[in-house]
Amino acid sequence: MSEVSTELALLVDVGSAWAKAGVIGRVRGRWRLVTHVAQPTAWGAAELRRGLIDRLVAAGDPRLANEWDALLDGATRIECHTARNPGRLAVVAVSREVSGSSARRAAEAAGWQVIEAVTLDDGRTLADRLARLQSAEVDAWLVAGGFDDARSPRALEAAALVASARLPESGPVIWAGSAQLGDDVAGLFEDGAVSTVANPRPDARREETGPLRDHLQAVLRAIVADEDERHLASVAFPRAIATMASDGGLRILGIDVGARGAVHALAEPDGTSAVRVYSTGGLAGAADVPGAAARVTRIAGDAGDEAAVADTLQTLRARPTTVPQLPEELSATQAAVRMLIAGMVEDGPPEAVDLVVGAGRTIAAAPHPGAAARMLLDGVRPIGVTQLAVDAGSVLGPLGSLPDEEIREGITLLADDLVVPRGTSVVCRGGSAGQLAMRVTVHRPGWPSHAPVEVRVGQLQVVPLAAGQEAELLIEPGPGITLGASRRSPRIQARATGGAVGIMLDGRGVPIALPRRGDDRRAVLAAWHDALSRDLDRVT
Amino acid sequence: MSVLHRVRLPVGATVLVEVGHSVEPAEVLATRRPASGGMSVPIASRLRRSAADAADLLAVRPGTALEAGDRIADDGHGREVLAPQACLFLGYDLDDGSALVAPLGPTEPVLGHVRGEVTSVTPDAIEIRVAGALVTGVGGSGKAVHGELRMAVHEPGDELRAGGIDVSATGRILVGGSRASAEALTRARAMGVAGIVVGGVLDKELRDFEAAQRRRREVGGARGDLAIVIVEGFGKVGIGAELFAWFRSHEGRVASVFGETARVYVYEADAPPPRRVLARPGNRVLALRRPFAGIGGELLRVLDQPHATGAGVVSRSALVRFEDGRTAVIPLANLEATGDLSGG
Repeated sequence: MSEVSTELALLVDVGSAWAKAGVIGRVRGRWRLVTHVAQPTAWGAAELRRGLIDRLVAAGDPRLANEWDALLDGATRIECHTARNPGRLAVVAVSREVSGSSARRAAEAAGWQVIEAVTLDDGRTLADRLARLQSAEVDAWLVAGGFDDARSPRALEAAALVASARLPESGPVIWAGSAQLGDDVAGLFEDGAVSTVANPRPDARREETGPLRDHLQAVLRAIVADEDERHLASVAFPRAIATMASDGGLRILGIDVGARGAVHALAEPDGTSAVRVYSTGGLAGAADVPGAAARVTRIAGDAGDEAAVADTLQTLRARPTTVPQLPEELSATQAAVRMLIAGMVEDGPPEAVDLVVGAGRTIAAAPHPGAAARMLLDGVRPIGVTQLAVDAGSVLGPLGSLPDEEIREGITLLADDLVVPRGTSVVCRGGSAGQLAMRVTVHRPGWPSHAPVEVRVGQLQVVPLAAGQEAELLIEPGPGITLGASRRSPRIQARATGGAVGIMLDGRGVPIALPRRGDDRRAVLAAWHDALSRDLDRVT
Repeated sequence: MSVLHRVRLPVGATVLVEVGHSVEPAEVLATRRPASGGMSVPIASRLRRSAADAADLLAVRPGTALEAGDRIADDGHGREVLAPQACLFLGYDLDDGSALVAPLGPTEPVLGHVRGEVTSVTPDAIEIRVAGALVTGVGGSGKAVHGELRMAVHEPGDELRAGGIDVSATGRILVGGSRASAEALTRARAMGVAGIVVGGVLDKELRDFEAAQRRRREVGGARGDLAIVIVEGFGKVGIGAELFAWFRSHEGRVASVFGETARVYVYEADAPPPRRVLARPGNRVLALRRPFAGIGGELLRVLDQPHATGAGVVSRSALVRFEDGRTAVIPLANLEATGDLSGG
């Protein structure tokens, strides 16, 4: 028996398609991520362990070569996993564009899988609507419609449809319609079946989906109560993001795009966070996004024709554990992630976010750092000056599953390996094609000053800045250009931190405008791709 | 061997079978009366009450199925409103004092589309034990059908061509190879083919075909359903050689195909060739991603170090000799072991 010993912890994130495991240990007095492996979940725990040990034997202390098995046995295991059974929901509403749209978005953002959506203006016959609802196998029913200042008979009709299609005692009913109809709707169902929540469309001009989303999250938790909530990745990842935000006094956006679901967590410096969980928002769901193949083809530029992209998207759904072998399939996959992220931030790009953290295999294990940065940059469009990083070791989920009193300690101890920086983005909007978007002077302490970099609207330029380095930015926006916050001075000073990509000066606007002509579009996309791929040898 | 099949029952269905019954694919397991449209029945005016007052006199709740003559409301003093015909009570309009009801159409059968023995009956489902084998695909289209299995191509990598589908395929389940074009699908439908089991289909062609089916149904031109099950992947993807041989060995057997859920039951069949996600050296393997999707081979060895694919994705990889003579390094995640899994 060797006399050498070490303290270890095993971080495991079991996803619906891929399982990730990392070993952290004390290295020269500090906790570091020693090694990390990822494999299809279906390969099993024994194979995951074998993969870890192979890596540890190859890269770890040679004196421990025969000890790793025993050391892993004694290691603290910290694990999170994807929800095994996503809640299934039927949404019934008066109008597709108003109440139906709000209800569905709130439901999807709360982590529900919408199995059936029926509205009274969906063009179907009453008989067809009834038949669809009678055949739906769901865990809960969401009914919405009518404004709060009126007793809409149509809203009551929507509730009556559910009452007619649902077996008694077969799942809760959530009423999210006119406040005046709450008692009437409750009277349509058995006692205790209906819970009432604030109308997400109280009048024609307002949309307030927050209370409904929170309520739906609570109902979902009650339904999947057999799973320990803290260990669910959709809960653990946002907890880790929120802890990082409060520790660092930062506003952090965490985006996790998995094989099946996706999580959007916006955490404030005070530790509060707004979380949206999209149970079908992961890569497998990309094929179901309306017009997905055409959109992905358009924004990828080099993923092949629309038919080939459609097959790739279906492959992501049908074979979620496989990996792209061809460059065009990788391009389509990454473009699909950009599309999915853009769908998650459809309320508008977040402003004044200090850090965007990307997670999920496609982002965190992207073969090229520039590609990971681009998925976050193009998907989120974070206006202003923002650091970009990835959860390359898949450690945030497991750390977020720690008890309240330990999570901060875990995040702090692993600070050096928590996320891997990709660099800092400067995103502006406004202006017209070709005009000056911004003039940026990059000053690195101890380095000679360079001439300002001029970025035109539609351009993306990268200034190398390696990980661990910092630079002062002096940004002069062009006429009509904004970086989000209102400003009194014509110049903005900001600090940039480096990463594998560097400083990304992005004048492409929000949302990104692409040329209509195919050849022009492909040329522009290729230029952006090149900008993010260039100079890596020099800075990494 | 046997597998369980679940038949979902719509709300309001009347079950006609009991546990222990033997059922055939075309047997009626339950009946239902679908609603056929909405109509208003005046309540308040007939009871000579205000709309609000009449609401308290309703005798039914939404969801109640009524026969013609059943009471919808009464005032306790001889005035009552009866259902004009068999209908489903949907709700009451407090503004105009009328009831919204959906007349029930003629009785429709609920078929199981499988042969087997009923093992459980609940208000929402009937479970049937099927004596046969189940093959699960990765995608599909169309409702449930059944028919005799028939090989429509000679090799697993062959395309199912329109020219190869004639009137003798009517009512059959055709087993194709690496692709069924939109033209072949259209031809199959025209010839009355019941179902198609195929290795791969171009998603765009499948969607175009589904759209055409939908349009035909809307104008009342579609008769019968063509169910399609894709067993390997999207694009031009052959059926694994072992699975193809298994289908060939069961040609002539009756099969049930569920397009939407991508399931194929083959009756009185032995188990299909096993698949395993983690292949070992010596295993027969099937590649799952382009450019080798649907091609079989032998896994020669697992590489010691992770390897980058042509796209740059680094992963554990294996050296595979494919049956077309090529040898390539393939990510282990993109391989399935198939056939005899004792190797390695």
